[in-house]
Amino acid sequence: MFSRPKHMEFVGSNILTIVTFTPAAGALLILFYNRAHARSIRTFALIITLLAFVFSLYLVARFDSSNPDFQFGVRVPWMPSLGIDYSMGVDGISLFLILLTTLLTPLAILASSSINDRLREYFIFMLLLESGMIGVFASLDFFLFYVFWEVMLIPMYFLIGVWGGERRIYAAMKFVLYTMIGSVLMLVAIIALYFIHGNATGTFTFSYPQIQSALASGRLVLSPAIELWLFVAFFLAFAIKVPLFPFHTWLPDAHVEAPTAGSVLLAGVLLKMGTYGLVRFSLPLFPHISHLFAPLISMLAVVGIIYGALVAMVQPDMKKLVAYSSVSHLGFIVLGIFSFTIQGLEGAIYQMLNHGISTGALFLLVGVIYDRRHTRLIEEFGGLANRMPVYATFFLIVTLSSIGLPGLNGFVGEFLVLLGTFGVNHIRAAVAALGVILSAVYMLWMYQRVMWGRVENDRNASLADLAGRERAMLVPILIMIFWMGMYSSYFLRPMDASVMKLLNQTQAGRVEYARDLNTFLSAQRRARSASPIGRSLKTRSASPIGRSLKTRSASPIGRSLKSGCAGSQQAGGADEVVRSALHVFAELTTPALQPFLRLRPIGLALRPAVAPPLLCEEGNVLASK
Amino acid sequence: MNLATINIAAILPTLVLSVVGIVVMVAEPFVGEQKKSNLGWLAFAGTLAAMLSLVPMANNRGQWYSNLWIVDDYDVFLDFIFLLIAAITILTSMDFLRREELNHPEFYSLLLFATAGMLMMAASNELVMVFLGLEILSIATYVMAGFRRADLKSNESALKYFLLGSFSSAFFLYGIALIFGATGSTNLLAIADALRSSKIQISLVSLSAALILIALCFKVAVAPFHVWTPDVYEGAPTPVTGFMSVGPKAAGFAVLFRVFLTAFPSIEDRWGSAIWMVAALTMILGNVIAVVQPNIKRMLAYSSIAHAGYVAVAFAATSDRGVSAALFYLLAYSLMNLGAFAMVTIISRKEDKLVNVTDYAGLGSKRPGLAAVLSLFMLSLAGVPGTAGFAGKFFIFRAALESRLVWLAIIGVVTTVISFYYYLSVIVQMYMREPHDEFSDVRLCGSLKFALVISAAGTLYLGLLPTRVLDWTTTAALR
Amino acid sequence: MLELILFYTFGAIAVISGILVITRHNVVHSAAFLGATLFAVAGIFLTLHAEFVAGVQVIVYVGGILVLFVFVIMLIAVERSVHERQYNKQWTIALITSAILIVEIAYGLYRGRDSLVLPAVVPPAAAAAGGNSEQVGTALYTSYLLPFEIASILLLVAIVGAVVLSKKRTPAEE
Repeated sequence: MFSRPKHMEFVGSNILTIVTFTPAAGALLILFYNRAHARSIRTFALIITLLAFVFSLYLVARFDSSNPDFQFGVRVPWMPSLGIDYSMGVDGISLFLILLTTLLTPLAILASSSINDRLREYFIFMLLLESGMIGVFASLDFFLFYVFWEVMLIPMYFLIGVWGGERRIYAAMKFVLYTMIGSVLMLVAIIALYFIHGNATGTFTFSYPQIQSALASGRLVLSPAIELWLFVAFFLAFAIKVPLFPFHTWLPDAHVEAPTAGSVLLAGVLLKMGTYGLVRFSLPLFPHISHLFAPLISMLAVVGIIYGALVAMVQPDMKKLVAYSSVSHLGFIVLGIFSFTIQGLEGAIYQMLNHGISTGALFLLVGVIYDRRHTRLIEEFGGLANRMPVYATFFLIVTLSSIGLPGLNGFVGEFLVLLGTFGVNHIRAAVAALGVILSAVYMLWMYQRVMWGRVENDRNASLADLAGRERAMLVPILIMIFWMGMYSSYFLRPMDASVMKLLNQTQAGRVEYARDLNTFLSAQRRARSASPIGRSLKTRSASPIGRSLKTRSASPIGRSLKSGCAGSQQAGGADEVVRSALHVFAELTTPALQPFLRLRPIGLALRPAVAPPLLCEEGNVLASK
Repeated sequence: MNLATINIAAILPTLVLSVVGIVVMVAEPFVGEQKKSNLGWLAFAGTLAAMLSLVPMANNRGQWYSNLWIVDDYDVFLDFIFLLIAAITILTSMDFLRREELNHPEFYSLLLFATAGMLMMAASNELVMVFLGLEILSIATYVMAGFRRADLKSNESALKYFLLGSFSSAFFLYGIALIFGATGSTNLLAIADALRSSKIQISLVSLSAALILIALCFKVAVAPFHVWTPDVYEGAPTPVTGFMSVGPKAAGFAVLFRVFLTAFPSIEDRWGSAIWMVAALTMILGNVIAVVQPNIKRMLAYSSIAHAGYVAVAFAATSDRGVSAALFYLLAYSLMNLGAFAMVTIISRKEDKLVNVTDYAGLGSKRPGLAAVLSLFMLSLAGVPGTAGFAGKFFIFRAALESRLVWLAIIGVVTTVISFYYYLSVIVQMYMREPHDEFSDVRLCGSLKFALVISAAGTLYLGLLPTRVLDWTTTAALR
Repeated sequence: MLELILFYTFGAIAVISGILVITRHNVVHSAAFLGATLFAVAGIFLTLHAEFVAGVQVIVYVGGILVLFVFVIMLIAVERSVHERQYNKQWTIALITSAILIVEIAYGLYRGRDSLVLPAVVPPAAAAAGGNSEQVGTALYTSYLLPFEIASILLLVAIVGAVVLSKKRTPAEE
């Protein structure tokens, strides 16, 4: 360690606060502007966001790539009697996400030139949104995280609802309610985790590092049922935000109706909050259940990839096409996360940045043409390359980046994700690769219809090419596209340490889970009698089903199961996972499913190879490592 | 023959309110028609004086007047809430009464008497005393609800409230009679002792507890005793609606907590599940029905039912943390709801015109300041982080989860999402619809501004830095 | 035994005339039955040796309130109210719910009858001291001083409320 000058230390320990709250402070200052001075408000907002960007560069400059832990930490008691701190920190996972936020916001502000109505409020909401987004990535306290997570919805709600398109109110309401329904359950899970951790360790705190290290070190052990509930509550919040396949219906509406800047930030940053949450919370906090559900979630991700691509293909509206392409791309990210490989995870994080940049750019480009023509229908265009050559060039590069052309940024992320997934499951990787091809189809097809050919629509005849302001907002993105495509190690290296640490924790949790299954069985019997899930569960343990469950584990079949599994290491791994899965389900499923579940272990005991194929492969991979 | 020790300090706030109430009435004939609102300021000063006199009262902790009157932290905190409610209501109604040409200063007297009744309820250690306080509060509120005498809706409101309120009073009295029959006392501590020590037939005690519970549930308007609320709230003059939606509710909960956690903790297994169901039903019904209300007063009426449901969740937790969360929530809810009703008062016109949600269309572009403040209250009522409403809900769900009421907490958060819909729809109207009114005749006089500032500042303070108040409620809950 | 017969007699009179008060179309008849109810309640007080309360019951309720009722009835048009339809369409539901309530309360009372032991009817000391009016007075001015004073506020609020609701309307209100 080396010593730094005093003032540097102040900046070093408060830099995250400064980055997070610079935009909010700017928003406060804009309140004092006369609403007539539109031009100076625009400039001021731009300066503030650029300032936040410059501050965030400090993070990158001072980031210690070899340190897997949180850096630039700040921790001030906020509500000490509740164990709530104002605590922030950055590691390799969140570092570039913050940078992505601070980079995209100035560009989004540059893209807001068509906004003339209630300009002051517009920029206030933009700046508040930026603060909220940075806060989500920087918070290390569950309460603080939740506050940012929710507060950020409000400015976005206004941005869509006030400055959006035709069906803006519907879209804004849908956006808020969808996101809300997931996140409130997360709140319940957070409070439950707080009590579980507090009761187990004696310290009642909402601090993420503390709870996470307690879980990792085994000081706090969640019973499978509890872990499942908590996982589901967290997962729902993140899956809606991502959005993972069946939860995606809010996304096309919100994207299409939002103003250009809103779409850019929505696609560029807000969706990343969901995937970031999965990486930051779901994986390290609930490793066992994450592993258990990985096949199912990966399947949903693959379905999302294909579904998003197919739906995107038939969209007549450019913005909607890009929106559905987001569903497809986010599927890749989730797939990478739940591959539990270093390549998959780093690819996923890299892909978060890529998607933020290229989809953000696509929305910016669509916004450019929408400002000129006030339509986004593909059929309205054609031959734009003749009239707007610079625009067409930019569009082409972004399109190629989006479909993952080697040498551009999209390729690196998608390749890593596929690489990571391929090692785990060939089929899934193959189907996902099909998604890459489909993305080339719909993107290039759109490009062809919009750009090439002759100008047939007279209204396109006199379109002006990109102006200086528009170039200014697109050039940084082009630089990033090439930089991240050519020199990816610059971005991947800082992630390594943190991702490795994360992966170790998750994997360790998993092995332990399989090994300790026997103790889990007994621990669970104890847990059930004093289950913190509450009265409903307690009463169930008194029901005949609960009793039959208990007796099952003590029955000869149960014993034979235990002995049978100990046999071969490889088959045992799969079997353990399956059995733990069954066990978790047995705790929770409705009585109607009980006979079914009770039958399964018998089959397993006789022929261990009958395990469901997906789970079986998971086990094989683990065992072969 | 020994006279009860007379301790003026212990009842000082109540005394101040009553005396100022009488002074306002006596002074009325001597004040000119134009200066009658000055009596409002006099009443406001009375609430401030009562708030100051909380200090000597807090220094006289203990039981007074033959153990009928109790002064403790719980009492002091609730008195603070009640006096705050009264002060903000007075500020809100001054301009309203002028505008509606109802400038009878008896209004302020009744309001002060009602507040005195609430103070009595919170400080009562005795069921008969609770009943007296409850009746003072109720009768004053019946009259205030019908204050717009020429208006049929106001009459309907007063009559409905009166009939159903009398009915619930009868339930309460019958409950007192039965508990007296069973335990030989109406003193809460004596009842608790009797229940612990002797072999009292539990069915009789449960019966009386049920009757008392029903009566108080009516007062706090929780389902299924909420049916009167929307009509009464809609018809009453707007500031009175604001008062009714927080004052009697807070007082009712004060009594509920005091009675059930002091006198009936030993039969908690009997009433605990009843509260659970009441809380769940209230949150669901209140929030779901509020979604379809076109009239903002009715919408806020159903929302107030829903909020009572959240407090009931804290009640169902039956722990000190639950009481603490409930006290915090009552304060937070009072501030934000009074603020919302102050805004409704400002926007509405004479004789309850412009009280539909759609009448708020375009307020954001015409009067951005007012729209921003109302948005703050709506977001706080919905429970957006950073506002008092979120802090309150957070503490309540924390208490519920600590008492392992997981399903109740889940119902709570899911209904919160439903509530977002109707609170946000007010914001939709203000910011996302075209104005069809200039809002040029919306006057914002000093007293209303003052009321808005108090409630908005309180809402933000409790939302951002709730620690200090939470510590206060925590000590207040450890009775 | 005699006390029991008297109690049930008075009780029956009170309940039956109470029902008649609310079911008669003619308000004068209702008022008369109200008087019967009040007298019967006073009788019940007497059987409990609460002479003071019985006297107050007759003086205040019969002598004061009932007479006031009758005056009011004389001042309004009784004929019209006889022909007006009473609003009691939901009486079936009301009947069912009140029947359930009565059954519940009766069951609770029946189950808890053992603990309903009332104190001895006439404490000898009080009787020697000159009856229970003095007892009531002592209680009111010593241990129940505060509620006694608070009751005065209650009455004041009721009076103010009545005046506010009934005073002459200002031109603006018309």
